[in-house]
Amino acid sequence: MAASNYLSYTAREFAMDEDFQQWVLHPEQRNVFWESWLRQHPEKEPVISDARQLVQSIRFRDYSLSAPDKEQLWDAVLNGLEEEEEEATIPIRPSIWRNVGKYAAAVILGILLTAAWWWWKPAIQQPAILSTYTRLGETRHLMLPDSSEVTLNADSRLLYAVAGNGQREVWLDGEAFFHVKHTASKQQFIVHTYDNLDVEVLGTQFNVNSTGKEIVVVLQQGSILLNIGETSKGKAAALYLQPGEMLRYNKQDGDYTKKSVDAIHYTSWHTGRLIMDDFTLADAAIFMEQVFGKKLIVRDTQLLNYKVSGSMPIVYNADTMMTQLGKVFRMQFNQRGDEVWIHKP
Amino acid sequence: MNTGKAFRSGLHVVASHSSLWGLFLQGDRHAFAGIYDAHIDDLFHYGMHFCQDKERVKDCLQDLFQDLWISREHLTANIGNVRYYLISSLRRRLLRALRKDRRYQHRESWEAFEFEYTLPLENQLIQHETIEEQKRLLQEALSNLSRRQREAIYLRFFQNLSYTEVADIMSMQVDSVYNTISKAIGILKKNLPLPLLLLLLGK
Repeated sequence: MAASNYLSYTAREFAMDEDFQQWVLHPEQRNVFWESWLRQHPEKEPVISDARQLVQSIRFRDYSLSAPDKEQLWDAVLNGLEEEEEEATIPIRPSIWRNVGKYAAAVILGILLTAAWWWWKPAIQQPAILSTYTRLGETRHLMLPDSSEVTLNADSRLLYAVAGNGQREVWLDGEAFFHVKHTASKQQFIVHTYDNLDVEVLGTQFNVNSTGKEIVVVLQQGSILLNIGETSKGKAAALYLQPGEMLRYNKQDGDYTKKSVDAIHYTSWHTGRLIMDDFTLADAAIFMEQVFGKKLIVRDTQLLNYKVSGSMPIVYNADTMMTQLGKVFRMQFNQRGDEVWIHKP
Repeated sequence: MNTGKAFRSGLHVVASHSSLWGLFLQGDRHAFAGIYDAHIDDLFHYGMHFCQDKERVKDCLQDLFQDLWISREHLTANIGNVRYYLISSLRRRLLRALRKDRRYQHRESWEAFEFEYTLPLENQLIQHETIEEQKRLLQEALSNLSRRQREAIYLRFFQNLSYTEVADIMSMQVDSVYNTISKAIGILKKNLPLPLLLLLLGK
């Protein structure tokens, strides 16, 4: 394609161009071509905004499936499949991991053998213990033996154990999004952090982040009970979170605050997207450090307050992610080892 | 037609979906759940515009995902666009289900693929009555498009399918998809509120 053709385009012709539509309709996928084209031809601005208006004015009425409906439909799909696959019985599947390398395959084999051993060894109920971790720059989605799902963010560790009475317990160091399934006998599910805070649930969706100086728990759906242990400064406490509430717990002094937030901003990472609402460069720095171990450095601390809003896919490649963030913030990111220096262009 | 294929952005998004697809074909249930999560909202949206019958759409979706899992061994690894595959499969199922149901025969539903006309935020200074009047005029003009034409426009603008994919799904020629969309854009161009265009020119 010859880009020069575009010089003679009318607004209507632009609005008909597939690539132009893509640029307007999906701003989260940066389109370098149109940005630079517009920079080279500033006189085309009126035609372009006219065309942009045309494309944007095509909207359709919204229909959406509620979260419980979505889950119910998924359960119906799985139930239907179970009936189909009745003959193919597999005794136990402790976990199937996504994105695992060949080493993990060996680990899974080991776990399967161990699990099979537990399974075939009758009468004695042994506790099941599983553990997993992620390195910098990777996430992992796993299903626990009780069918609860966990997405583990980068550089995190998780240990899972089932006690004799069926109570489920996990120990988390790092960040994870949990989707806990009810069990028939309503056994508890407890998330322990390596600080003075535990999360107790029955069945629900929530995010726990213990990577920084604070532990941040955000509840997306259901209800959870937070148990805060006694410290030198504060008494033990137990409090409930409602959907959309967030608790920040200070690891150092045991202080905590509760407030209402838009849960999606704290949980969207587990679906592979970064949803940014007044997302500052400082927030981006925290993200890059947590997920990739990169330290973002600015000479002018004013820059840290630069904000953007919108959403973008998270790419688990530090360089790509940095380039994307650089474009979004319109800043120059210069990398030296694990340090990233940020300048205005 | 200048489609600018070389500059089609978002290729990595498609790639990550296809790798999810690869895992799914190998029988990975998490990948299957991932595909469900990634597409269920858009598929439901399409189904509702297609027939406005929530239970029927849900039934078709349940069958679609069950068959998807059962037939995974026979599906191709080079799927290209999973969304395209799922939408065309849902469309066939809905058509089949509706054909069995006599009530729906030859029904040219007004609500199907109905446009929603909303002004972009930056233009809300314009007087309310003007907006309402413009909306009405525009709705009237757009209602001259047939259901099939509206569906083609919907598939391109809402579901992000390419002109070629839209043509394939609807068994149309690419040219007629292009002409249909051109017609809609022409209507919009003619009917967009005047003050709005002046505002843009004044920039």
